[in-house]
Amino acid sequence: MVKVKLFGLLRLDTGLKELELEANSVKELYPLILEAAHSARPGTAVTLKDMDGCIVMINGVQGKKSSKLAPGDEVMLMSPVCGG
Amino acid sequence: MQSKYGGYMGRVLQIDLSTGDVKDYPWTDKDRELYIGGKTMAAKILYDTLTGHEDAYSEENPLIISTGPLTGTGAPSSSRFNVSSLSPQTGFISSSNCGGTFGYHLKRAGIDALIITGRRGEHTWIEIDNGSVTFHNADDLWGTRVTECQRLLAEKMSSKRGCDIKFGKLCIGPAGENLVRYSAVISDERAAGRTGMGAVLGWKNVKAIAVCGNHDTPVHDPSATKKWCQKWFRYLRNHPLTGNQLPRMGTAGLVSSMQMRGLLATKNYTEGRFEHFHKVNGETLAEEYNIVNKGCLSCPIKCARTVTVEGEDVKGPELETLGLLGGGILNKDLYHILKWNKELDDLGLDTISASNTLAYAMEANERGLWNNGLKFGDIEGISKIWDDIAYRRGIGNELAEGSKRLSEKYGGKEFAMQSKGLELAAYEPRRAVGQGLGYAVSNRGGCHLNGGYLVILEGLGLNIDAQTPHAKADFTMMFQDLMEMISATGQCLFTSYAFFPGFLITRPNGAIATAANKLLPHLGWAIRLMNKFPRVLAFHLPVFHHTKMMQKAVGMPMTFGKYLQTGERGFNLERAVNVRFGVSAAKDSLPKRLTDVPQDPNDPRTRVPLEQMKKIYYQARGWDKNGIPTCRTLKKLKIAR
Repeated sequence: MVKVKLFGLLRLDTGLKELELEANSVKELYPLILEAAHSARPGTAVTLKDMDGCIVMINGVQGKKSSKLAPGDEVMLMSPVCGG
Repeated sequence: MQSKYGGYMGRVLQIDLSTGDVKDYPWTDKDRELYIGGKTMAAKILYDTLTGHEDAYSEENPLIISTGPLTGTGAPSSSRFNVSSLSPQTGFISSSNCGGTFGYHLKRAGIDALIITGRRGEHTWIEIDNGSVTFHNADDLWGTRVTECQRLLAEKMSSKRGCDIKFGKLCIGPAGENLVRYSAVISDERAAGRTGMGAVLGWKNVKAIAVCGNHDTPVHDPSATKKWCQKWFRYLRNHPLTGNQLPRMGTAGLVSSMQMRGLLATKNYTEGRFEHFHKVNGETLAEEYNIVNKGCLSCPIKCARTVTVEGEDVKGPELETLGLLGGGILNKDLYHILKWNKELDDLGLDTISASNTLAYAMEANERGLWNNGLKFGDIEGISKIWDDIAYRRGIGNELAEGSKRLSEKYGGKEFAMQSKGLELAAYEPRRAVGQGLGYAVSNRGGCHLNGGYLVILEGLGLNIDAQTPHAKADFTMMFQDLMEMISATGQCLFTSYAFFPGFLITRPNGAIATAANKLLPHLGWAIRLMNKFPRVLAFHLPVFHHTKMMQKAVGMPMTFGKYLQTGERGFNLERAVNVRFGVSAAKDSLPKRLTDVPQDPNDPRTRVPLEQMKKIYYQARGWDKNGIPTCRTLKKLKIAR
């Protein structure tokens, strides 16, 4: 299992903070998160395209969509933000 | 002096507090063309007035409150006003920008700017009604906190007229009265927080200013202005940043992103990530405390938060406050940050400088340099510390001096996180070296905005190599000049963030964003050419609505190049004032922690290569090796003859 934490508008839009999912790569996580989002908040506007834009951190190190995952990894996903 | 241009009321009022004289300051259309308004106008007045021998607490030191030509025209996010003077924190030029409604009401009173010189012999509040100035005794206001002072002010204004009226107000809190070097000027819920403008008003014995009137701001072409405003409002509302992220999360939404990029100043900038960031980030604020987002007058972005603290609905904290009173002092209790934010505003203290000064004191204590009892992560009694600072009691009397002066007394200059005496914002620059350059060369001291806000390219927007010095100097200059001009017109800098096409923000891993990230560090030469020959940029950019707004509302011929060059003039004017007060390359500095100690001990690139970037920056600016604008540069910009 991989621990997934969501941040940014992705979290506010899906209503999900933290999940435990079975996946071997970040790419595999995306549809699973969407599925969870749709059951938690039916009609959520988040799409796979939005997920593609996320900043990915794996165990505190910058990752990407193609990054492989191992059981016990902690993945942080954040929709991009800007300005301040 | 009436203006042929729209947007201007045509009056700049000079108020001599010592004599009580009020007169019109000569300000011509030629001045308006060259210096526009806001902070640039103030810089010109300071340049013409100050000799280099004054300090913040001199009768000759003017405090200038200025609007821009777009203030009050209905242009997006254009309610802003600027407060400039000599800063008691830095000893150099200051400028502090504020939203709210004061700027709008100042123009309703028929006035573009106030120049306040001298010093009153008694506690005073100033009433300005349609250009007529009255001094009132303020003994009953003196000593009040900001909320109470503004309530009493409203009572006074209403009871005199026999009904409730709409008016603009600004005031200082106990911190300004007691000359805390980083005290703010507060207007409604908004703050001109930085550079100690509250102390300058306090020294002048002015507690508050109330302003009202019934003038409309003239507009050059009302129909075209209205249409352009509608188009611009739509653009901002549809942009993913100004129409979605900022309205929904405010600047607080950046905390998590900064954490991921290693940019979140933690434990007095020893680290760039805070273990408990998720407890003090924008998401938690939005989920657990935020009631509604609020905005300034005529602002579609509405980035401000409203939260409930101790049963009262108050303004929520910005990113800077969350970061510096969270990870900065190793505090993981969000509610306390909300509470402190309210207390700091009510006392009239700048949250950034207060936080960083506290963090300095904690580290000095930890290192045995100053036995003051303050510890990282120990938040008991912090509220009392804020009170003690504002009233200059006990240890607060020392903290009221700011981190630079404390480090000169107790040691630890390498971890007093300031530049030119102004404490840094919450962005840890060792993971965004261009932002580090900006902090160092900013005219008002360690400010992220006056520094060009390059972090927007270095991880918080685009994602170019944050460690390379390549092109950073040239981008810094361009962004500084753009921001200078946006401020001068009276608009909020957030309007410029929509400069980046939405897809670059929402698809940061897409092909175009990836290519841009790789390409931009190699385009320093192109940016240099644009900076050097702005006249070549004789066009409008479709994503930058500001230039056409100036044409339609003000009637001033404007192109992107002219806009940039006017900003450049303003930035150099400020530098020229600073040079009179002793600024040179040596003052464009950062604490050694940021330049000499890598954030990641295994990666020597994670420090700010300041001297290398400064050299290129000075060349780009047309300054000599010592950071002094050359005669040629000053002549080119029509600052010197």
